[in-house]
Amino acid sequence: MATERQHKPQFSGRKQVACSQCALSNLCLPRGLDASDTELFERIVLKSRPIQPGEYIFRAGEPFRSVAAVRSGCFKSFVIDQNGEEQVLGFYLPGEIIGFDAIHEKVHTANVVALDTSSICGLKFESITEMARQLPVLQEELFRVMSLQISEMQANAADLSADERIARLLLSLSARFAKRGYSATEFNLNMSRRDMASHLRLATETISRVLARFQNAGLISVNRKKVAILDIEEIQKIAKRDKSKPHLL
Amino acid sequence: MGSTTSFPAELIVKYGLAGPRYTSYPTALQFHEGFDAEAYRRHVQRSNDYLIPLPLSLYLHLPFCKSLCYYCACNKKVTRNTSRADDYLRHLFREIEMQGALFDRDRQVIQLHFGGGTPTYHADAQLRELMQHLARHFNLSREDSREFSIEIDPRTVDEKRVANLAKIGFNRLSMGIQDFDPAVQKAVNRIQDQEQTLRLIEAARENGFDSVSVDLIYGLPLQTAASFETTIDSVLKARPDRISVYNYAHLPHLFRAQRMINTDEVPPPEVRLELLASTTTRMVEAGYVYIGMDHFALPDDELSVAMREGTLQRNFQGYSTCRETDLVGMGVSAIGKIGNSFAQNYKDIETWQAAVEAGELPTWRGIGLSGEDRLRREIIAAIMCQGLVRFSEFERSYNIDFNDYFAYEIESLKPLEEDGLIQLSEQSIKVTPTGLLLLRAIAMKFDEYLIKDNAGKAYSKVI
Repeated sequence: MATERQHKPQFSGRKQVACSQCALSNLCLPRGLDASDTELFERIVLKSRPIQPGEYIFRAGEPFRSVAAVRSGCFKSFVIDQNGEEQVLGFYLPGEIIGFDAIHEKVHTANVVALDTSSICGLKFESITEMARQLPVLQEELFRVMSLQISEMQANAADLSADERIARLLLSLSARFAKRGYSATEFNLNMSRRDMASHLRLATETISRVLARFQNAGLISVNRKKVAILDIEEIQKIAKRDKSKPHLL
Repeated sequence: MGSTTSFPAELIVKYGLAGPRYTSYPTALQFHEGFDAEAYRRHVQRSNDYLIPLPLSLYLHLPFCKSLCYYCACNKKVTRNTSRADDYLRHLFREIEMQGALFDRDRQVIQLHFGGGTPTYHADAQLRELMQHLARHFNLSREDSREFSIEIDPRTVDEKRVANLAKIGFNRLSMGIQDFDPAVQKAVNRIQDQEQTLRLIEAARENGFDSVSVDLIYGLPLQTAASFETTIDSVLKARPDRISVYNYAHLPHLFRAQRMINTDEVPPPEVRLELLASTTTRMVEAGYVYIGMDHFALPDDELSVAMREGTLQRNFQGYSTCRETDLVGMGVSAIGKIGNSFAQNYKDIETWQAAVEAGELPTWRGIGLSGEDRLRREIIAAIMCQGLVRFSEFERSYNIDFNDYFAYEIESLKPLEEDGLIQLSEQSIKVTPTGLLLLRAIAMKFDEYLIKDNAGKAYSKVI
C-alpha cells in the first residue's frame, strides 16, 4: 500500500497553463482544437505543484469535481478488496486523463496515487462538459479517450495466460511511451512488481518468472527499472495481437 | 601481466601511497549510524519490488578462533570456551530468521560464504545445522552453479572434515597458508604443517570442491625474498585454483594482536617490493592469470574466464563471478549490500547479541547511496573489474557529458597516463597491464570522499 502523506491542496495558487506550448499538446484533450479554442480551454485548466511519490490525488469515495491530466511522472489507481488487499486497476502516463470513473456516481471509485515525482493539470469537469457542448471537437476527444480506457480494461479482463497478459502490458506501455516521444523499445517502469502483479491479477513471483524467461529468450532486457524490448515481433506473437486489425492504441 | 613485462618497481614505489581496497564504494569510512535498522528494512523492501529482483548472496561471520595469529586484523574472538561459540550460534540462528523474513521467497541464494575468525571452529554437526537453518529461512539454489564457500583452518581440518563440508553443501573453499617458513610461522604464532596443508588441497578436489583458494601474506616478520620463494614454489606445485597474496599491514596501534609482532623483524619497503615482484613473476611464469588486487587464478578458473569475458564482479570477499546479487550480511560485524545501500552489523559480540536477543535487527551503521555515489561506484567497479571505463555507457545512463562532468578527475589521471598505468582517450579510460598492478591508485581518482578530504587516512599502503 502506498504510504499516505499530509494532504496539502495541490492547486493552491492558480497557475495558468499554456496548452499550446505543452509537450503533450498532441496527446491531451485540447489536441484537436484550433489556436483560439485552445486559449479558451486553457482557462479552465490548473497546473499542480510537484506531487511526491506516495501522495494521493484522488481517494475512493471523494466527491467528483475534477479530472486530472498527467503532466509528468506516473500514477496508479487501485481499490481495496474485501480482504483488505490492494487491487491495482491501471497506470497513468503523461497525457493520460484520470478520473472518468467518477462521472457516473459523482464520486471517485478508485484511489489514485503518484508512483514518482509527478505533476498534473486539473480540469473542473463541469467546465469541460460545458465547453464540450460548444466545441464538438473537444466532445469527440473526450469520448475517444474514455473509450480507449474502457477497451484497455477489457483487455485485462479477458481469460489470458500470464505470458499473454504480461506481453500485452509491455506492448501497451511501449505504445504509450512511443506516443509521448519516448523510445518504444526502452523505457523506465516505476511500478513495483507487486503493482504489476496486482494489476494483471497474477502472483508477484509469476511476474518475475515470466519476465526472466522473456529475458533469457532474448525478447527483453530488464535492468532494475529499465525495460528494453529487444524482439517486439515475438512479444506481439505472445500477446496474440491480431496484426490485421489496427492496433487499438 | 604478461610474462614478458618486467616488474615496474619504481612505479610501485611511486604509487605506493595509502589506498582503499574498494571492496565497496563508498568505503566503510563513510558508513554512519544515522543508517539504522529501519533504513535497512526500507532498502530491503525496495529491493524486493524490482520487476526482476536480484538473487541473493549470504555472508555469515563466525568470529571464533582457537589461537591467535599475530598478523590478524579481522573481527575475531580467541577462546577455547566452546560454550561461547554455541551461544553465538544460537543468536545467529535468530538473526537468520529475522533476515530471512525480510526477503521475498522467490529470491534465490546463488552464493554464500562462511567467513570469520575460523568458521571451522564449530563442529561439522553445527555447521550442518547452520546450513539447514539457512535452507529453512532462505531459498537456497540447488543448481551446480551455485557458489557456496567456506574458509577453513588447515591446522584443524582433515580430509574427513573436508568430505563432511562437501556433504553439508559447500563447493568452494579457501584456506590461509600465509607462509610455510618455520621461523616466520613462529613469529606470527601460526605453526602449520606444509604436507598436511597441501594434502587438503588434494582432498578438496577429490571431494568435488570446484575451486580451492589459498591465502598468502608477504611482509610478515622475518620473511626474506628467498624464504618466501620457497613457500610459493611449494604452493604452486599443489596448483590451487586461486591464490591471493596479501600485503601485511603493520598497524599495531589499530590491531592489538599485531603488538605481538616485533616491528624490527617486519621487512622494510625494499624487501617487501622484492617479495611482491618475485611472487608476481613466479605466479605468472607458472601460468596463473593476474586478476587484480592481489588475486591470481588459473587460466581456466571461472575468475579468469570472467575477466576475459568482462563479467567480473567485486564484493567484500574480493572478486567474484556471480551474477549481480544483493548481499545479506549476518553475524557480528557483517556487511551487506542491498540495492543502493550498505549496512554493517554491530562490531562487538555483546552488542550484537543484545540486539538479536531483543528481537531487533543488529544494524549498527550504513549508508544510502546518492546518485553521485552510484555513478562513481559504477566507474570504480569498471576500473577494478573490467579495466575499462567506456564513457558512452555512463553518458547514456546518467545523462552527463563524461569529459565535462569529470574534467577534474581526468586531469588528475594525466600523470598516471604519463607513467603508463592507463590509456586516456576522448571515449574511454583503459587500464594497461602495468596499471593492473596499481588498480587502487587509478580508482582513487574517482573517489569523491578522498578528493574532498585530502588529508591522509590510515589506509594500508598499496604495497
